Amino acid sequence: MTVTAEARPRRVTARRRSAGARYEARWGLAFVLPCFLLFLAFRFGPAVVGTLLGFFEYTVGDSPTFVGLDNFQRMLHDPLFWQALKVTVIYTVLYLPLSVGVSVGLALLVRRSFRGVRLFRSIFFLPVITSLVLAATIFTWLFSSSGPLGELIGDSWLASPVLVIPALVIVSVWSRFGYGMLIVLARLQDLPRELEEAALSDGAGPWQRFRYVVLPQLRSAIFFLAVIETTNSFQVFDLVYVMTSGGPGRSSYTLVMDLYDQGFKYFDLGYASALGVALFVLTLFVALIQRLLIGRAK
Amino acid sequence: MTAYRALEPGRAGRAVRIVLLSIASIVTIFPFYAMVVLSLKPVAAVEFPGSLLPWPLATGAYERVLGGGDLPLWTLNTLIYSVVSVVLVLLLASLAGYAFAKKRFPGKETMFWSFLAMVMVPYHVTLIPLFVLVANAGGVDTFWGLIVPTLANAQAVFLMRQFIGALPDELFEAARLDGASELTIFVRIVLPLCKPILATLGLFVFLWHWNDFLWPLIVGQSTGMRTLTVGIASLQEQNVPLNVVLAGATVAFVPIFAAYLVGQRYLTEGVTMSGIKG
Repeated sequence: MTVTAEARPRRVTARRRSAGARYEARWGLAFVLPCFLLFLAFRFGPAVVGTLLGFFEYTVGDSPTFVGLDNFQRMLHDPLFWQALKVTVIYTVLYLPLSVGVSVGLALLVRRSFRGVRLFRSIFFLPVITSLVLAATIFTWLFSSSGPLGELIGDSWLASPVLVIPALVIVSVWSRFGYGMLIVLARLQDLPRELEEAALSDGAGPWQRFRYVVLPQLRSAIFFLAVIETTNSFQVFDLVYVMTSGGPGRSSYTLVMDLYDQGFKYFDLGYASALGVALFVLTLFVALIQRLLIGRAK
Repeated sequence: MTAYRALEPGRAGRAVRIVLLSIASIVTIFPFYAMVVLSLKPVAAVEFPGSLLPWPLATGAYERVLGGGDLPLWTLNTLIYSVVSVVLVLLLASLAGYAFAKKRFPGKETMFWSFLAMVMVPYHVTLIPLFVLVANAGGVDTFWGLIVPTLANAQAVFLMRQFIGALPDELFEAARLDGASELTIFVRIVLPLCKPILATLGLFVFLWHWNDFLWPLIVGQSTGMRTLTVGIASLQEQNVPLNVVLAGATVAFVPIFAAYLVGQRYLTEGVTMSGIKG
């Protein structure tokens, strides 16, 4: 588009165009700068400073002192960090397949249109818009010894070091599957019918059609979902804070709980920043592995 | 057409589908049901299973939570946090999105890529410096400290850029030839054309702020500056009776539910069209 417009021989207007370009640049900057300056001050700047702070010792009201890799060394020798990492990883490993599985399963069920399908889709999206604090409040009771899920096992899930993480995973899946369902559904509705019809006339059953025709075409949607949900579950905080505060003991103590405690309870801002950096590196690392795995599955 | 119909489930398939979907729906709705029913119980009756029967009902918890206490104030705080943020985020993002989509200016690529790069950086990396910055500027326990750091929303800028980029240039050129100023073009032409995306984005920004927890928890340190999420979490911590906590939770949920009833289409389309984060 622009190329053809540029190529048109219009020497006469060249000077006017440069004045016009300046005018355009001025207004472009005027429109973009309010947002960009806020972004620099409150997102970009803090991210850079946050990374740097990881190499400093810093507490409120004190000036930062450079300590090199001390914070990271301390982290590697801190059993609390390893506990938080372990909890976060277990949580993610349980959460990811369950949430993606439920999302894909329900997307398949609401894929074709039938009476009431819109109602089902609306119901499934409702938890997505509900705050995690509300979900945490009600599920705390459901899992308690006086709630129905606690009654099921005869004890409170949240008091059990073994069941506390599965309980958190269940709440997370409940609150997020509607989002994943929509992502997968959007992809499903874009799929051409011909392939499935061809498979059908070749005598493929429903499972074979799903496994060999539909699923391969969902790879990009599932990858997108897996990356988003991994990032989310590495950063799990609201649920843990409200439902367990990391307990019992440290059985559900996650990385962001650690970061929050170090930063806002003990005001050890340098070490908390180092934890933030570790979180970032982990997220990138896992995204990279997922990319490789899904790429190879081709 | 026959092949297409053959892909539809048969009678047994349809029956299985409806049963599975009904079970999933009950599991999805049950926590909401429990929340509302328990909030309508007299304090004593929270033992299962009697607690889940819809009788006897009492409105004591609501009288307590709405009459005295901090809940009305927290609701007001949340409303201010959400509504002011929605208006400002939409304004800033549509200005920036318009410039990124339709204008040439120095530094455009650099700025755009720095927005893009930050999407990969977890929010928590920025949390500590952000708090120090806001605290040093005296923003703890103030509305501006709560609101201003949340305004530069990269996801909103991308969406606006994407949407405005798809609008034909001729619309703006025609107005420019008629001598309209850039501001007039933005207000009279860009904004009206963006109504659908502004509705979608506005709903999401509203939800993000209404449900936000960590940032208000850190910035709103006094009881009077709490938002609903932080307030309800604090009730839970203080061992306030369950029916009262859940009455608060129900009150906090009503506006979200109303927004959902009105704008459901915009929300679900937002997710399916652009993968906007729920």
